Amino acid sequence: MIEATATYSLLFISLYFEIFLLVGFLERRFAMPKNNAGVSAPASYPSVAIIVPCFNEERTVSGTIESLLELEYPKEKLEIIVVDDGSMDNTLAIAKQFEGHGNARFPTEDLVRSVASAAGRETGIPMPLVRVFHKENGGKHTAMNYGFERTNAELIGCLDADSIVASDGLLRVVPVFDNEQVAAVTPGIHTKEPTNMLQHMQKVEYRLSVFNRFMLASFGSAFITPGPFSIFRSSIVRDLGGWRHGYSTEDMEMALRMQEAGFLIANAPKAMVHTSIPRTLRHLFNQRVRWTYGWLRNAVDYRHMIGNGKYGNLSILILPSALISIGAGIYFFVRIMLEFGQELWHAYVKYQVTGILPHPGFDLFYLNTSMMWFLVWVAVALILILIAAGSLIGTGKRTLPIGTPLFVLFYSFLVPLWLGTAVVRAVFKTGVRWR
Amino acid sequence: MDPVVNTRTARWSSYLVAFLITALIFATALYASNYFNDQRIADVRSTEDDISTQILSTETQFDLLTEHSCTDVTENVTPPSEMTSLGSELDYLEAQGGNQQEITSLKSMYSLLEIKDYLAMQELAQKCGQKSVFILYFYSNNGDCTTACEEQGYVLTQLSSEYPGLRVYSFDYNLPVGALQTLISIDNVQDTMPALVINGKNYYGFQSITAIEKILPQLKTLQTASSTQATPAK
Repeated sequence: MIEATATYSLLFISLYFEIFLLVGFLERRFAMPKNNAGVSAPASYPSVAIIVPCFNEERTVSGTIESLLELEYPKEKLEIIVVDDGSMDNTLAIAKQFEGHGNARFPTEDLVRSVASAAGRETGIPMPLVRVFHKENGGKHTAMNYGFERTNAELIGCLDADSIVASDGLLRVVPVFDNEQVAAVTPGIHTKEPTNMLQHMQKVEYRLSVFNRFMLASFGSAFITPGPFSIFRSSIVRDLGGWRHGYSTEDMEMALRMQEAGFLIANAPKAMVHTSIPRTLRHLFNQRVRWTYGWLRNAVDYRHMIGNGKYGNLSILILPSALISIGAGIYFFVRIMLEFGQELWHAYVKYQVTGILPHPGFDLFYLNTSMMWFLVWVAVALILILIAAGSLIGTGKRTLPIGTPLFVLFYSFLVPLWLGTAVVRAVFKTGVRWR
Repeated sequence: MDPVVNTRTARWSSYLVAFLITALIFATALYASNYFNDQRIADVRSTEDDISTQILSTETQFDLLTEHSCTDVTENVTPPSEMTSLGSELDYLEAQGGNQQEITSLKSMYSLLEIKDYLAMQELAQKCGQKSVFILYFYSNNGDCTTACEEQGYVLTQLSSEYPGLRVYSFDYNLPVGALQTLISIDNVQDTMPALVINGKNYYGFQSITAIEKILPQLKTLQTASSTQATPAK
């Protein structure tokens, strides 16, 4: 009885959350005019500083800086601040090649011309100022603050050194700041081209995240400002005291602090960023344990917001659902594993006493038509719809990524592994490492 | 739709709409699940009716044996596959939960059919010299015979498939069916599961394939006789 109550309660909450987001999406889609065709020019061009915090990013940092140099934005209004956070590889040397103008690695004249042309300006306009700093390793939040203290730009951005921003990314973000209440704008984050099955599954997950990020912003409830190309209003960041450690998830801590202070976090999904994703299960596991651990510890720190009507949708539904989803993921994983274990045990017992292995067969009579399975199928169908909606929002196409079947079949068995580990670590406050 | 920003003030109508849709999905899932379960129960009941008719036919033919040959009677014996699949389907329904009253009623009917089939087959063996070996298998679903009954079920199912002439009748010891309790009383079966009645002798505890083959050396002579299987995994 307790098991059935727990199962159906968690299924109800999970389905309710999916449907709540979907209803919100449909309301918005039918209520709003379609205006995605192009980039609308901002009313003004505020000064922008993009900070690139780096720690051992020698393989990807040059691509990140090059993508920033190609941003369509008045170059005199844009500066790039690379902060090497005590890297032990060649990150600093590579970044230094971009410092100033006219050095060997600086973009060619053709590139200068094409970038300026794409921005609709004459050639000959100065390229954005690239400044490179080196400091002792202290974590991403210290690198962000280090760069932040060295600029007076009106908008401050972050671009992780393993990410590449689309050339029109900034132009899609800046107009959102015309709303004075907006403290930050998050982009549409996509994966770089996947090369193995694990990355294909992550690509699907990121597509789902595009939808979630968009909908959370539409409910005024975004609680993460991701490292890849989130842009902040400097004055608000300054008033809030800059970045904090946030249990190695400073992007979550900052977003929660902004929400706590009553500011809005917007989303511009067409501002596309492509980010590197883990290639191996071990790296993915470590990354997700860090994210989940950080979320849990930050949730404890900001627990006064949970259920507090003052914070609207965020506190009533979004934060509680995000927490419950961790418990639900672990619960269903354990339940499925127990059932699978039981089946294996029966097969073993049968083999032991008869010497015969069970052979698979199909009979319609034995098709599982329990209420739980109907609900699971509905939940899977809804997930597919949300992924398609994420594709529509992020890329303008409804097609599902090729890895969707893999994602549906296997990813939900991987997620509980890091959820469980993160919960244990959060309970014992063990801390997590970046790498 | 791009970009998006909004105040976080809760719109209760959105919460209500989402709640109603979720509740509707739950109600539909409940209805669909009940519908398919009812279909299954109807299938099982229909099979039981068929078997009941077949047994009644066999019994009637015994009464008319003077006018019929034994061949006519044996041709109308309940096919073992029907009894086997009925037992398995009942097991599945019981494991799935659902309407326990209905399932208990189906199980009671199944037990009665097994007893009638057992009696009919004994009569057939006597009157027509039909070679049959019977095993009565008693299990418990009260949690006092989990592993041993499961193992015994596998063994009997395997024996039934190896020796088609073997007829295994499986009974839930605790089922409140008068005829079943009378059978238990006649055979003096104690409340120690699993229990087997073979050739009028009671055996308690798990009996392996080798042990049963030792008790029933005539098994190997019954290759061509009809059989029923034990319901598995009890």
